[in-house]
Amino acid sequence: MPNHNCQISFFLLLMVLFFGGCKDPFEPEFAETDISQLVVEGFVETNRAESKILLSRTTPISNATDQLMESGAQVSLESDSGTQWDFNETALGVYTHTGFFDTQKKYKLKIVLKNNQQYTSEELMPIVSPEIEEINFRKNEEGVEILLSTKGTSTSEYFLWEYAEHWIFRPRIQTIYIYNPETKEVDFRKPEQSISLCWTDNLFPKIVLENAGRYSGNFIFQKPIVKIPNLSEKLMQRYSINVRQKAISKEAFDFWEIQRKNSDDIGGIFSPLPSLIGGNFKNISNAAENVIGFVSMGQSSEKRLYINVADVFPWPVFIPEYEFCQVETTPTFMANYEFKFGSGVFIPAVPEIAGTTTIGYKAASTACTDCTLRGYNVKPVFWED
Amino acid sequence: MIKNLLLVLLGWMLLLGPAFGQVESPEGEKFSGFYPGINFDRFAHQIESSTAYRFYFDLSEVENILVNINAKDNTLSQILEVVFENSDLKFVIDGKKRVFITKGSRLDFSLGKDFFQIGEKGEQTDSLQGNDELKRAFTRNKLYVIGSPEKSNSATTATLTGKITGLETGNPVSGAVVFEKINYSRAIANEQGLYSFTLPKGRHTLFVQNLGGFVEQRQINLQGDGSLDMAIEENIISLSEVVVSSEKLTNVSRPEMGVQSLSMNTMRKLPAVLGEVDILKGLLTLPGVNTVGEASVGFNVRGGAADQNLILYNNTTIYNPAHLFGLFSAFNPDMIESVDLYKAGVPVKYGGRLSSVLNVNAKYGSKEKLKASGGIGLMTGRLTLEGPIGDKTTFIIGGRSTYSNWLFDLLEEKTDFREGRASFYDLNFNMEHRLNDKNIIRLNSYMSKDNFRFDQDTLFGYQNQNVNLSWTHYFSERLEGEFVIGQDRYKFGIEGRDNPLNAYDFGFDIQQDHLRADFVFEKDLKHTLNFGFSSIRYGLRPGYIDPFGSASIVNQEKVNSEQALETALYFGDDFEINDRISVNYGLRYVIYNSLGPNTLKTYQPGQAISESTVIGEKSYDKGEIMNTYHGPEFRISGRYNLDKFSSIKAGYNTMRQHIHLLTNSSSISPTDTWKLSDPNIRPQWGDQISLGYYRNLKANTYEFSLEVYHRSMKNLIDYRSGASLVLNNDIEQDILRTDGRAYGAEMMLKKNSGKLNGWISYTYSRSLLRTAGDETAEKINGGEYYPSNFDQPHNIVLVGNYELSKRVGAAVNANYSTGRPVTLPVAKFVYGGSERVFFSDRNAYRIPDYFRVDLSMNLEGNHKVRKLAHSSWSLGVYNVLGRKNPYSVFFTPVNGVLKGYQLSIFAQPIPFVTYNFRF
Repeated sequence: MPNHNCQISFFLLLMVLFFGGCKDPFEPEFAETDISQLVVEGFVETNRAESKILLSRTTPISNATDQLMESGAQVSLESDSGTQWDFNETALGVYTHTGFFDTQKKYKLKIVLKNNQQYTSEELMPIVSPEIEEINFRKNEEGVEILLSTKGTSTSEYFLWEYAEHWIFRPRIQTIYIYNPETKEVDFRKPEQSISLCWTDNLFPKIVLENAGRYSGNFIFQKPIVKIPNLSEKLMQRYSINVRQKAISKEAFDFWEIQRKNSDDIGGIFSPLPSLIGGNFKNISNAAENVIGFVSMGQSSEKRLYINVADVFPWPVFIPEYEFCQVETTPTFMANYEFKFGSGVFIPAVPEIAGTTTIGYKAASTACTDCTLRGYNVKPVFWED
Repeated sequence: MIKNLLLVLLGWMLLLGPAFGQVESPEGEKFSGFYPGINFDRFAHQIESSTAYRFYFDLSEVENILVNINAKDNTLSQILEVVFENSDLKFVIDGKKRVFITKGSRLDFSLGKDFFQIGEKGEQTDSLQGNDELKRAFTRNKLYVIGSPEKSNSATTATLTGKITGLETGNPVSGAVVFEKINYSRAIANEQGLYSFTLPKGRHTLFVQNLGGFVEQRQINLQGDGSLDMAIEENIISLSEVVVSSEKLTNVSRPEMGVQSLSMNTMRKLPAVLGEVDILKGLLTLPGVNTVGEASVGFNVRGGAADQNLILYNNTTIYNPAHLFGLFSAFNPDMIESVDLYKAGVPVKYGGRLSSVLNVNAKYGSKEKLKASGGIGLMTGRLTLEGPIGDKTTFIIGGRSTYSNWLFDLLEEKTDFREGRASFYDLNFNMEHRLNDKNIIRLNSYMSKDNFRFDQDTLFGYQNQNVNLSWTHYFSERLEGEFVIGQDRYKFGIEGRDNPLNAYDFGFDIQQDHLRADFVFEKDLKHTLNFGFSSIRYGLRPGYIDPFGSASIVNQEKVNSEQALETALYFGDDFEINDRISVNYGLRYVIYNSLGPNTLKTYQPGQAISESTVIGEKSYDKGEIMNTYHGPEFRISGRYNLDKFSSIKAGYNTMRQHIHLLTNSSSISPTDTWKLSDPNIRPQWGDQISLGYYRNLKANTYEFSLEVYHRSMKNLIDYRSGASLVLNNDIEQDILRTDGRAYGAEMMLKKNSGKLNGWISYTYSRSLLRTAGDETAEKINGGEYYPSNFDQPHNIVLVGNYELSKRVGAAVNANYSTGRPVTLPVAKFVYGGSERVFFSDRNAYRIPDYFRVDLSMNLEGNHKVRKLAHSSWSLGVYNVLGRKNPYSVFFTPVNGVLKGYQLSIFAQPIPFVTYNFRF
């Protein structure tokens, strides 16, 4: 709402309550300690999988920057018997280590920042996650649900699942032709030039949590992990989901539970209440400093599931980006190839054939034909056909 | 104490004119003091205790004499002259300061030649002005015997009627209030000065308060129906309506504490936001009463939440006391007689809420003739009609409505609000029927309805509907009972008609059926017993959404209906131990049953209630008791009079509350809903300990009070991070049991009379919350105390009225308070692959302080007594300084970046004008 609302009659200001009303900028002075806090994210794998710790800082709410990685820190893991393992910064703010850790010991993760501030985690007690018993899916009126079953134990009661989805999609208009700017001819695409079949992924979609303690025998049966709504492109051809299961402590579980509810939808009347986030790190010299993040340690387990479109047939697909895609009705003839296709906005899609000779191509927009604009045409390494 | 009259018969007794019985030097010792209706025996004792005077009299001769004098530098003889005026008692004071009181003729010691001169001199120096004064003073103390006992032997009560006339003019004094201090029964004189009310038989001290006049009193012994005409000082041209006297009389002396009464006359003078007398806004001028924002529905008493106030309107419970989400109060000012707010010392008959009881007393109709009153403002109009139906029945009907929609149409076409509409109305209808002397039946009904929308598509609405029937029965002279049965309803709804596909009806409602019986038994002069029971059956539909129309694809959703029965038994005693000490103690036992049908989730025992600890569901049949909470509530308060002008009081009370408002309260939310206690949500519990000092200064012109209090609360409701309150069937998973404490000090200095009157109050109050120690789900602010949403430590209110002339009065109201706490998003970060917002500690920041000044002016029409209609104008400016007081702050993304804004509602000076009339 614009500011002129302040000028309108008083009673309208009531009405504008729900719209914003007489708004003036509000710029409270935040304490520096609130604005720039250390954020620690990660999981220490005990069984020779890569452990990854991400360090970053919170940024002021009004900043356009997304993330401020904390580089140049020393991250190390120390066991209660005094052994120390150092992590290496493999990317900006990303610290990794691969090794084997005795799950019977207790550990602490130590962080020394560039500015010499030292942080330490609370004691980490590794929890070995049981294997995922089964991942399957179920089709219902609303779409397809991916379901996970696992059996907890008395030591692994709380579970956190992360998952990565990959799927194949095709553009609305598929073409095997390519304009060659050197020859000014239209050629057939080579396999590596294919733009009609791509993979895409969703790597950090959301957090799924469950407490096995409330089920008899700690058995979590068919817990919905992901819901794929009807018309989703994910099941257009073949879909893969890899679920990584981590067994975590009650404290970690509570932390993630709050994270799950924390939403960036704030300020509205119907917004959920704000969340407060801490974690299991503290500044050695300043206990009052809030550090965001909860690092757990243990051995995770994972399982992958593939779904083909045939498994869920029929599966109509609607991709909003392709809603208005059409092949042009009039062909572009050879003389105009450069003009039409040279800029890359259009791609030859359907040949115009007179007798046995191709005399031109009907064009389609690149956005409607080139799937690499929305994904990648290189098969992921793990992918099984 | 000397109880014998020394008859010194010296043989030279002389019979003299009345009242001049002074022997001692006229410059004798001067007295000041307030003797409030005490018997002569006690009066004498008090004089003796502080002076060298000694009294000699026969107790049987003075037993009908009550001393009611406010002496200011008067000699004893002046005082006694007044006391004995027109009685046949005479007195004489000798040089040894002995006072001899005799019947018929007085003792005389001297035959001095200057005797008569002294007498005359005494008369002249009398600071009680003139003979009329003396006469009045006498009538105050005389005992009037009214009615004959044979006439209505069986009745325990009798009806007293009479006419109140002006002392100087003899004209009827309309609007004078006649009341007695024990039960606070009262009657108001009508246009003819006639009054009528029913009192238990026996001795009473009647007080007569005229608007702008002083309090008069009469001693009566009511033996049967009868009449008593009274002539009082009137002030016909002054409508400088002073604070109702009951307050003045009782601030120091009443045993309860933390009680605030506001008369309609006081409230009328407060500058009103839209020209409408608003009792809720009036309350906010009192110490200890705050609000989170100008257009908020609720008010906060002593650090309590808005839902912790029980709002009673002639026995009905009002769930939403506001129109248009807080712009107007739901009470029609013409319908209201008085308002009492109990911040502490809640009478034992009330319960069910933690913080306070607001008792709004509506009027019953005039017994004399048909009358109308009303007013016309910019946005609202109101009309009230009242009068008798036959001899025994009266009615009053009042209505109010908005006609603001025309204003919307004046808006420019492009304005977003042209399609906006806002309307409300409320209706009151009360009847009183006097079956006979012993039985009175009253019908109270109220309904209000609000509708408003910002565009054509979404209509918000809510309504109160309340009706009850009460029967007052006088069992005997000392036992009175009142029986009430009624039903209260509150309903809220949103009609979404954006397009046929997602058209919906959203809403929630509350219904409560209540039944109560209250008895008052005057055991003897020292004990007044209160006892009775009340029962409320709640039925809630906490939330539902239904598709509207056949095309709608909205999914029907419904939060389970809830039922409960709350029953309370109580007993209390007002015990006046002696002149100085009185206590008021009581016990209220509350039994609460939550009832089926319902289906509730069960959780792992010992674990925090959350989605992840659900172990099953349990279904309950209709009427099945799901669980029971019960426990006692204590109400104790005591008063100790330090002297005649000051007292200290202390009190302790506990309260329980079983119905909770679910609100995220960071701003007004139309979706706030109510929730009953059930096996997963415990009842709220609170106690309060308070201490107060009260002092009246300068012959009650000034009143000073200081109260300090400390409250502890348990099982309050706060919400977990990310809680969602709308249509949440498992709300217990989003609730954090929270402890609360609130403490503060309230200071008030009030000037009751004079051209300039008003008050200034300062309140220091804190309201803190802490996640309960055994609540493991989440610890807000690390389990430390944090300020509640309405923690506003400093609050200063100034209310001033100045009578420019008899017909023109000006008023100013200034209000300062600390900005309320808010939780702000302060930073953002990426975690688990998503951008997340980091909030400050809960309520770690505050919105800017609040400061507002309002001015208003009341213009009265002329005051010819026999004028057809009386009219007045009130006009003024709300928020004269135009300060943009932020109502709330919020953050919203602008180009992907969160920007903070503060929202002010009344950011400009807002003029208003209202025309009021009555005839």
